[in-house]
Amino acid sequence: MLSYVIRRLLLLIPMAAGMVIVTFCLLLLIPGDPASVLLGQEASAEAINNLRTTLGLNDPWYIRLGSYFAALLQGDMGRSIFQNQAVSEIIAGRLGATIELAVVALILACLIGISLGVLAATKQGSLIDTVSMIFAQLGVSMPVYWLGLLLMLLFAVTLGWLPSIGRGVPLPEALIAAITGQPGVFLDSLSHIILPALALAANSAAIISRLVRTSMLEVLREDFVRTAYAKGLRRGRVVIRHALRNALLPVLSVIGLRFGALLGGAVLTETIFAWPGLGQLTITAISQRDLPLIQGIVLTFAIIFALVNLVVDLLYAAVDPRIRLG
Amino acid sequence: MSKALSITSALLLAGFSFTALSPAKAATVTIGTDVDAGTLDPRLARDTTAYRATDLIYSGLVHVTPSLEARPDLAESWETPDPTTWIFKLRPNLKFSDGSPLTADDVVFTFSTILNKDFNAPMRALYTPISAVEAVDPQTVKFTLSAPYAPLLSYLDIGIVSKALVEGGNDIALKPVGAGPMKLASWTRGSAIELEANPNYWGEKPKADKVSLKIIGDGSARAQAFEAGDLDVIQSPLAPQDVKRLEADDRFGHAIQAGLGVTYVNFNTKDPLLSSPKMRKAFSMLIDQKTIVDDIYQGVDQVASSIILPSSWAYSADIKQPGFDIEGAAALFKEEGWADTNGDGILDKGGKPLTVTLSTHSEDSNRVQTVEFLQAIFQAAGVDAKTQISDWPSFSANYVQKSQHQIALLGWLNIVDPDRLLFAQLTTGGSTNWGGYSNPTVDDLLKQGRSATAQADRVAAYQKAAAILADELPYYIVSYQGYQLFYSKKLPFEVQATPRGNMRGLIGLKD
Repeated sequence: MLSYVIRRLLLLIPMAAGMVIVTFCLLLLIPGDPASVLLGQEASAEAINNLRTTLGLNDPWYIRLGSYFAALLQGDMGRSIFQNQAVSEIIAGRLGATIELAVVALILACLIGISLGVLAATKQGSLIDTVSMIFAQLGVSMPVYWLGLLLMLLFAVTLGWLPSIGRGVPLPEALIAAITGQPGVFLDSLSHIILPALALAANSAAIISRLVRTSMLEVLREDFVRTAYAKGLRRGRVVIRHALRNALLPVLSVIGLRFGALLGGAVLTETIFAWPGLGQLTITAISQRDLPLIQGIVLTFAIIFALVNLVVDLLYAAVDPRIRLG
Repeated sequence: MSKALSITSALLLAGFSFTALSPAKAATVTIGTDVDAGTLDPRLARDTTAYRATDLIYSGLVHVTPSLEARPDLAESWETPDPTTWIFKLRPNLKFSDGSPLTADDVVFTFSTILNKDFNAPMRALYTPISAVEAVDPQTVKFTLSAPYAPLLSYLDIGIVSKALVEGGNDIALKPVGAGPMKLASWTRGSAIELEANPNYWGEKPKADKVSLKIIGDGSARAQAFEAGDLDVIQSPLAPQDVKRLEADDRFGHAIQAGLGVTYVNFNTKDPLLSSPKMRKAFSMLIDQKTIVDDIYQGVDQVASSIILPSSWAYSADIKQPGFDIEGAAALFKEEGWADTNGDGILDKGGKPLTVTLSTHSEDSNRVQTVEFLQAIFQAAGVDAKTQISDWPSFSANYVQKSQHQIALLGWLNIVDPDRLLFAQLTTGGSTNWGGYSNPTVDDLLKQGRSATAQADRVAAYQKAAAILADELPYYIVSYQGYQLFYSKKLPFEVQATPRGNMRGLIGLKD
């Protein structure tokens, strides 16, 4: 088990190097020049070229790639061209917000998705089933930015229940504040995260509910479920303890993959709700061609994604005794 | 389950009442903005948020009022003993927000760094006619120009930075210290810039103690946050659709006025097809400005008639570009030898069809719509029009700035002086003359315009140049951009709009 984890962690190195090279090539291919964006329309060609030299953009590509790797090996992801700050510092300042949003969205997606899936499967063919599956269809097909604007229109503009934009105190800090007698701080943070997390969760909740429904329907027809009923166990116990536990196995790997999708979805959700995370930063960095920053963000996302997959694989082995890692 | 639900709803209700009970923040103004500032060093500012925030944090030698007059700010007076010398007298006992003194040395330092090529200041080109800046005494600064340069005064509102702080290694891009009405309290990158009143400001105290600039990238989300009461003020850039809705809402006050920008068509005069003024005129006559302004921009912008803004002292209603006239365009194409000889609906000459590419950038959906609309009119007039739409970095750096375009739709902002839209853009070899236009008479007139000291001479020069340009059309000005400001009527003081979107009028300061 330990050697498996170490091997997987070591595999991260070539993967990260590959990601850096792929991103670098993509950035070489897309047109547009950070120096010209930085200096604006009124700059002369001479001023732009001068800045390109200062930024090292006039060097041949292999020198740029080589020096990037050399710096990376020393833990230096470079400096953002536009924010004039170390890339690692900028990302560290934003990462927490994105992870917080993605985790809360994942929890919401699991809660909603699993509940709806189980309900639909146990009441197959009923109104509940139809309604849940309509929800699932809508959730899968609705673009996150549109849903975000609709939620904001309803809950913030029309009803005025929740704040439309921004983030409160980070949730972990807010939790501590709540414990030390300041529940207001925690509730304020909670009220800020509900809308973006819901918008972000909808798509994953829909996918999870469809999957749970299918998987549950299969398991509910298995012999051991009939046996459980025959033993006289209550329906609730059979569904939750026996059927759901088995039905969740295929769902688990999808949930892991959804975390990656949530990080991607955060790019749009954060822009709508002014959530100060990596997603918003990504959009800005790309629109400005802030090359070192884009590199840094892609690398960070790739590493998080790989780590989440590792955790899912470990969980899988823990839940299903048939699977052995080694 | 039901127990868990009721606990959650109780918690949520408590949350709402908490929000509702928090004390009214009477003197805080919360303003929505579209991008985070890249820097808070005024010398390096290049985005609207940086311009607007640094205008509050810093003061310049002069302050430019909403009607574009230069008024004394840090300088209490100035004189021009000869057309190439400007002497500014600073107010006594000026201080930066950290309490340190502001002297002539700081002014010299600010402009010397801007003029230093390696400092890469985006606005450097505006100041290059300055050949020397020197401190005569701690309260007097002398600018020497290489040639008379009338627009200089309107550009001297750029913020003065502290020499001691910068040379001491402080990063004023992140921790700015200026002598403006506000100072930085905190800055959460990508989220909010918080400012508070600067006790060391020389002038009248602002009515707002605090300003919170919230960054919301999406225009519709910004408008909704304003409607939800999370913002007190929003301003251009806004989608015309949102402008119409907010205008009708009586909870909000608004100012909708002419801005300082134009949307224009840039003809590449080096392109064989577009080198003749007659061809450019024919294409210009296919631009239906009224429909573009009324339907695409929903009346927020104004139909343009010439290259001089109507709010400018140099404007003349007698100078007019050609208007929308499909038959007139057809006649001009015919004069140039284009006719539909093979009956396919497309004009041709020497066996070649009349093909042209219209381009713009994808960030501005109204410009994309305009280009698509123009494509339809061009087609109807027998021109095989193609479109090319890409994002701003590739459109600007790899296309227009490299003169690869034929007909490009784009804009210019901050036209505080006619010089700003004419000299670099339309003189022979000008640094942003991407269409390669060249006319020695226009060159002379534009040089006269920037160097004449008497206002009447400047007016005459610009009007003559504008008349020639309205006929030769290297640019076709489609519209004068509007500026919009919306504010909550609950704000405890009066709000004054500035066409540039600067925010001194939003914190209770006048002019």
